[in-house]
Amino acid sequence: MLSFLKVVERAATGPVCSEHDFDLGILVPNIRKVVKKYDIKYDAGNPVPDDDGLADRVWAAGLELATETGVWCRTTERRILFTREEIQGALAFGPRGVVFGAGLDAKAMPRRKPEDSTPPWCSVGAGGGPVSTEANVLSLVKAYAENHLGDSITTPSLTNVDGQLVTAGSPFEIEGAIRTMVLSREALRRAGRADMPIVNAVATAVSAAGHIAGHRYGIRKGDALEIGTTAELKVDFDSLNKIALSLSEGSLVYAENGVILGGLAGGPAGTAVVTAAYNPIDILVLRGAVQHPFPTHFDLGTTSTRDTIWARAVANQAVSRNSLLPVVNIGYTCAGPTTKMVLYEFAAWVIACVVSGGSFEVGGSAHGTAIDHTSPIEPLFASEVAHAVVGMGRKEANRIVTGLLAKYEKNLADPPLGKRYQDCFDVASGTPSKEFLALYREVKGEMSSEFGLRLPNAGPYC
Amino acid sequence: MDTATISDRLREGIISGDSVEVVAAVNAALEHGMTPLEVIQGGLQSGMTEVGERFSRYEVYLPEMMMAADAFEQAMKVLDPKLAAAGEEREKLGRVVLGAVQGDIHNLGKNIVATMLKVRGFEVFDLGVDVPASVFVDKAQELGANVIGLSALMTTTMPQQKTVIEHLKARGVRGKYFVMIGGGCTNADWAKEIGADAYGQSAGDAVTLALDAVKKQVS
Repeated sequence: MLSFLKVVERAATGPVCSEHDFDLGILVPNIRKVVKKYDIKYDAGNPVPDDDGLADRVWAAGLELATETGVWCRTTERRILFTREEIQGALAFGPRGVVFGAGLDAKAMPRRKPEDSTPPWCSVGAGGGPVSTEANVLSLVKAYAENHLGDSITTPSLTNVDGQLVTAGSPFEIEGAIRTMVLSREALRRAGRADMPIVNAVATAVSAAGHIAGHRYGIRKGDALEIGTTAELKVDFDSLNKIALSLSEGSLVYAENGVILGGLAGGPAGTAVVTAAYNPIDILVLRGAVQHPFPTHFDLGTTSTRDTIWARAVANQAVSRNSLLPVVNIGYTCAGPTTKMVLYEFAAWVIACVVSGGSFEVGGSAHGTAIDHTSPIEPLFASEVAHAVVGMGRKEANRIVTGLLAKYEKNLADPPLGKRYQDCFDVASGTPSKEFLALYREVKGEMSSEFGLRLPNAGPYC
Repeated sequence: MDTATISDRLREGIISGDSVEVVAAVNAALEHGMTPLEVIQGGLQSGMTEVGERFSRYEVYLPEMMMAADAFEQAMKVLDPKLAAAGEEREKLGRVVLGAVQGDIHNLGKNIVATMLKVRGFEVFDLGVDVPASVFVDKAQELGANVIGLSALMTTTMPQQKTVIEHLKARGVRGKYFVMIGGGCTNADWAKEIGADAYGQSAGDAVTLALDAVKKQVS
């Protein structure tokens, strides 16, 4: 397989191309061409399709797109190009069976296929959602880890250091990155899961410098950094610097691809194809141990819309049927903690991923942007739903997801933000309010009575 | 070929984002005797408005808007010299300087706002991503902007929106500009806290806010 430094060399010497020319002259026409050539059409009536032929066409379209388009480097304003053989080589020799964590919490990342009976990888936490106090970070991470369906932790981001806002590129970012890391490790120790892997290891850090600080203060070899493209098939040297560091330190990479539905990829069909195209790019450029996609709606800012669920389901089926690189899908919701809607949203996109061959990571509630609007109930519920649908057929999942969409779809533009963590949990003990616990149990009951799902009881609140 | 047919051709060219066709239609319109202002106000502006409306209804996406805006700009390269020669000026709603603040390299939301503002008829100066505070101020001063738009996707880059406002105040020009903010992690409370004039949740909001601002500045 092509070495990382060879990829960097191409970023420095590849064909010069302006961003405008890349976007409208190469990327968009190539997406349109393959969507048409491979006859990829969005079907709003079936958010979780069960068409293997469609999945394989999306995969073929994605490979063609990756080969003909390459990746644009913002720092050098050049294209990084790969031959078909290099892409095939990456797919043949990419990582597999990678073990995350250590000791009692060491676990191999599963490779799954559509309707697989292998349980998914459950990455639980806040997906970098903003949290205002160190006490909240400690309490939340400890409570996330007490969910024993959780295979890895995705920490929140600390918004301030001693009252000063954490600002990207400043020393406050370095200090925030260090504190988040130190606090998260301590929280895992308190939960009795000291070696549980943290997979967004430096959530508070934006820059490579912040990631370096995180490595000095607690990132281990079984942990992962979430390193992503900056936009559709685009990278910059700061991202590549993070990868250079991870490769040298021996830590792992969750290769993030947040394709924007409604952005340069166009609609759901283009979004599915670009997400599939990322799979070999994630191996070659981002050196990922997993693909970590989150197709997000451009206007509603969530992964729980009907069209993003369809794009994600199709892309997961395309990738999991054709590539060995596992997919751990991160996702968000519009609604926040203490609402029924947040649980419906998580259930919908998580079910679509799990039956389509993927695993999942719970990102923040309330778009992952409302400060302190996250709680341990959401990842717990999502993990329980995920395990309840292992081995389920896509037709049945389609019926359930359609039913869930009917419950919340009309409220996506004006969602209830719910309550802050400190307003719905006792922060000191990490236990939910009686009202929140009752709502969680009520929705679990609905999953059983309305959809026939038997959810396990994985949390400490039974 | 009558004027209505030519205007339809201009409009359809814009909607399909076909720069070559739009320039050809502009030349045909001029040869037919239409004035540059008639060309703009007839087919071109109508096409741009239609693209904006289709985008709001999720019927087309960013590429279609960008291509329509590109086609419009190509048409204006033909029409602007003729307008100047005739001593005329096309109606410009206002000038907007916008960008993603320092430390933030996310450009998609900002690009959507920029394109929607162009489609609506604003002159837009997109400073790109990772833009230092002083650059916003310098460019707004240089261009005589009406509106400054500040995009920040992350909690770690939000503080830079406040920094831009502090730079405007330090240079004694805060009152000259309508400052609107946006981006995933921002909200109306944050806008109020840092002294911005408004928060736009969506690209459509940004256009509405900019329109209201220039109307108030004119009156």
